[in-house]
Amino acid sequence: MSTVTPKSPRVSFASLTPNNLGTVRKLNSVLFPIKYSEKFYHDILQPEVEDFCKLIYYNDVPVGTICCRLENKGDQTKLYLMTMGVLAPYRSRRLGSKSLELIMEAAASHAAPKIDKIYLHVQVSNLSAKKFYERHGFKEMEVHKDYYKKIIPHDAWVLERDFS
Amino acid sequence: MSKASGIPVKRALPSKESTLFKELLQLYETRNLKKGLKTADQILKKFPEHGETMCMKGLVLTHLGKREEGIEFVKKGIRFDLTSHICWHVFGLIQKGEKNYEEALKSYTQALKFDKDNLNILRDAAQLQTQLRLYDALVETRNNLLKLRPNVRQNWVALAVAHHLNGNRKEARKILEHYERTLKNVPDYDIEHSETLLYHVQLLEELEEYTEALRILDVSAKERAIVDRTAIMEYRARLLTKLRSDEAEHAWRALVEHNSDSYDYYRGYLSNQGLSLDQPSPEALTILKEFSSQLPKAAAPKRLALTISTGDEFKELAKPYLMAGLIKGIPSLFADVKALYQDKLKEQAVEDIVTSARDEFAKASSDPSSSTAAGEPTSYLWTLYFLAQHHSYLGRPKEALAILDEALTHTPTLPELHTCKARVLKRAGDYLGGARCLNDARLLDGQDRFLNTKCGKYLLRAGMIDEANGIFGLFTKKDAVSPAVDLEDMQSLLFLVEEANAQRQNGKLNLALKTYMSISKVFDEIQDDQYDFHGYNLRKFTINIYLKLLTWEDSLRSHPAYITAAVEASKIWVAIHDDPSIVTAITSSNGLTDAEKKAKKKAKKAAQKQEETKKTSTTSTNEDKGLESTPQKDEDPEGLKLFTATDPLERADKLLLPLTSLAPNNVAVWIAIYDVAIRRKKLLLAVRALNKARALAPEHPEVHLCIIHLKQTASALPQTPPAPIGDVFSDSLLKILPSEVSLETFNSQYLQRHSMSASAIIAAAQGAHKLSAPRQEVENIVFTALNDGVDLKVPTALATIAFLISIKSPRVDEFRSACDAKFELSTVFKSSEELTSLRQRVLAGESEATTATEVIP
Repeated sequence: MSTVTPKSPRVSFASLTPNNLGTVRKLNSVLFPIKYSEKFYHDILQPEVEDFCKLIYYNDVPVGTICCRLENKGDQTKLYLMTMGVLAPYRSRRLGSKSLELIMEAAASHAAPKIDKIYLHVQVSNLSAKKFYERHGFKEMEVHKDYYKKIIPHDAWVLERDFS
Repeated sequence: MSKASGIPVKRALPSKESTLFKELLQLYETRNLKKGLKTADQILKKFPEHGETMCMKGLVLTHLGKREEGIEFVKKGIRFDLTSHICWHVFGLIQKGEKNYEEALKSYTQALKFDKDNLNILRDAAQLQTQLRLYDALVETRNNLLKLRPNVRQNWVALAVAHHLNGNRKEARKILEHYERTLKNVPDYDIEHSETLLYHVQLLEELEEYTEALRILDVSAKERAIVDRTAIMEYRARLLTKLRSDEAEHAWRALVEHNSDSYDYYRGYLSNQGLSLDQPSPEALTILKEFSSQLPKAAAPKRLALTISTGDEFKELAKPYLMAGLIKGIPSLFADVKALYQDKLKEQAVEDIVTSARDEFAKASSDPSSSTAAGEPTSYLWTLYFLAQHHSYLGRPKEALAILDEALTHTPTLPELHTCKARVLKRAGDYLGGARCLNDARLLDGQDRFLNTKCGKYLLRAGMIDEANGIFGLFTKKDAVSPAVDLEDMQSLLFLVEEANAQRQNGKLNLALKTYMSISKVFDEIQDDQYDFHGYNLRKFTINIYLKLLTWEDSLRSHPAYITAAVEASKIWVAIHDDPSIVTAITSSNGLTDAEKKAKKKAKKAAQKQEETKKTSTTSTNEDKGLESTPQKDEDPEGLKLFTATDPLERADKLLLPLTSLAPNNVAVWIAIYDVAIRRKKLLLAVRALNKARALAPEHPEVHLCIIHLKQTASALPQTPPAPIGDVFSDSLLKILPSEVSLETFNSQYLQRHSMSASAIIAAAQGAHKLSAPRQEVENIVFTALNDGVDLKVPTALATIAFLISIKSPRVDEFRSACDAKFELSTVFKSSEELTSLRQRVLAGESEATTATEVIP
């Protein structure tokens, strides 16, 4: 008797704190072939980006992260998506979409400063990632050559979405 | 100045001073301490030898924090006036504040001689008598109090309780009945009256007067005199069962519906039907299944059904229980279910169910679009966690680790996986690896104090005491002297036991002894803490729980932490007695280098300065510091005072004494008692202890060694002890070991009987060593423990290495490397260089775990 009435899984998000930073580090080390600096971990704890840096929980187990930073380029404020990842067994269950939508909603309603765009880099070998962002309204702006120094291919697409 | 006969010249004061004295008493009552001090000095100027004033002054000074001065004054005061009840009362108060209850009672008894109707003194005396368990005296005191104030309700109930404690329940009942007859104008819903009635009912139940008890219960319940509805239900159910009434079943059913998760209610229901939860029985199972379907949200009937059922019925019930738990993701599911493993068939059934669940979940969760609960990746995850714990529990570390590795690849962010891996490694003898894994778990959630404590504990098990304290310090009070001191203040027995064991493993016997003694101190404090309840519970009339408290306090030291502390501390003291060079080794190695000495002096000076500034600031306040002594600063940080005590055996004996009645089935306790008694030359006590141990476990390795020790001691006695001791002693000895059997034969026979038991082999080797066998022979015996088929475990292997070192064997490293090869997962047998590098990795955390190549600034 293995068919218990399916309850929909609990998906929740938590802000980053020094206490759960260890979990963020663990996820990053497993999800990305990139070692992030101590400055990265310092920056994601700052209050200005609290709405844009989250841990993703699935049935109360931490399974992914999403981290952005705010960038001021002249009179424009952009939101840069630095990392987003979900542990392999938990993918294709809409966690990526849900967390991206959470961030974008926070960005759209962000008043001070007003956020104009959100953008990110995707390695040119990762077509499925590109399609994912395009489904969420992102457009390819350009190819950033040799964005990555050590991993191959070195090039990355720059994908962007406006908040008007 | 007229004097009544009997009052000494020096006590009576002229009117001015006598008014001042009355004022002084008032000022003390209202805690107006500075004024009180002034008034006392005024009287003393004119009458410097007035004992009562001196005592009062001493009392006031103590309240102001100047303990030593205060006590001096009190002692002086008493000397000047030995027949003043005030002086003795004050002295008693001071002693009570120091928790010296025996002396305090003596002072109070003296005070009562001179003023036998003083209510204050009588009340305090009653509390002291209860604390000291002097129930005969307590009854007398309570009787006096009742005679003096028969209209105070408390005094009636207190007398009843005193009779009850003294073992006279009949008298207690009489008092209560008399009391209830005299009651008038009881307000509605009066909790005190309610509790008194419940006490009355409980008393009748203990007297087996069930009908009367039920009558009172029902009448009072109807009148709403008893307000505790749950208690009413519980008492009813119990009494009806004892009266074998038909209404009992209904009463128990009502209780189960009231709280469907209380195992006691199910037990009561079933016992009423003549069934029990301890034996499998189809009727009981039917009942539990009925409850299960009537109360679908209750966990208890489902779990109890697993205990009672067997065979296929068990499998049918276990499968939905386990599946529901795995899908819900209950972390404690294994801990819940492992009690069933006493039945090997159930153990196998559980393994089969969970293993097939694992396969099912693995398949289902590989398809993300499936929406069933079985397809959730978390179902698979928790199933892996369960199986890992299962294999670890059954002693299969390799299987457990394989499953954990898969789980950790699946979801590395679940702390439970890391703690489980740590446990597996610890059980396999890799304490450093265990500590490392638990630190990884801890880093995942910095605000989880459970992970913090477990990490500290594993560090202590690995012998990394300083690092452990650093980890504990993340959660202990910031202004405490050190994390260890704070945890000792908080009476954390878990911490103290682990720290003491770690210090002992590291060879710091002085520190270990100090910590074991602080465990004993915690129990002394818990015993002292009950004092306030003698007054409190009577004031609140909550008698039933009060009596339970007293019973609990009486068996307080049966707690495992106390047993460990007492036995281990005794072992250290016995070792000191046998080999005083242990003491000199530690005291001399405690010599510090010059630089360290200078640093110590500086720290001491700084601490002294702090103390002085503190003192000067407090003298100006009027604070009432109460009568209790403030906790002393630690004057013996290295535990050397204890370690160099001149009466080690007597101290050990004192520690072990409560265990003769509280832990009579513990072999280690009787062995410890034997070791202490024989060295104190208490021959008959030693033999008695050894016989108790033999009765519990005749083939126990320690028992075997004690027998050899006893025979050798007996043979070494310069002359046979005088009759009757000598005769009884020799007779007992013959019963243990017939005279025609030589010790060598005894030892080799033991070895033959237990050639497959590692601990017995080692005992035989130690026995051979005691019998002066050549070292090679001893070593040969030891090495047979490595043979196939022998049940050698890591702790025994470690003890063996310690033994080989103690006999200065050149084959220590050989044994150690053999163990390292035999226990593949262990690290505890590695060389010290390997251990040092492993130790550094323990707290390193993430820094070395990443394999990333690209760095983004």
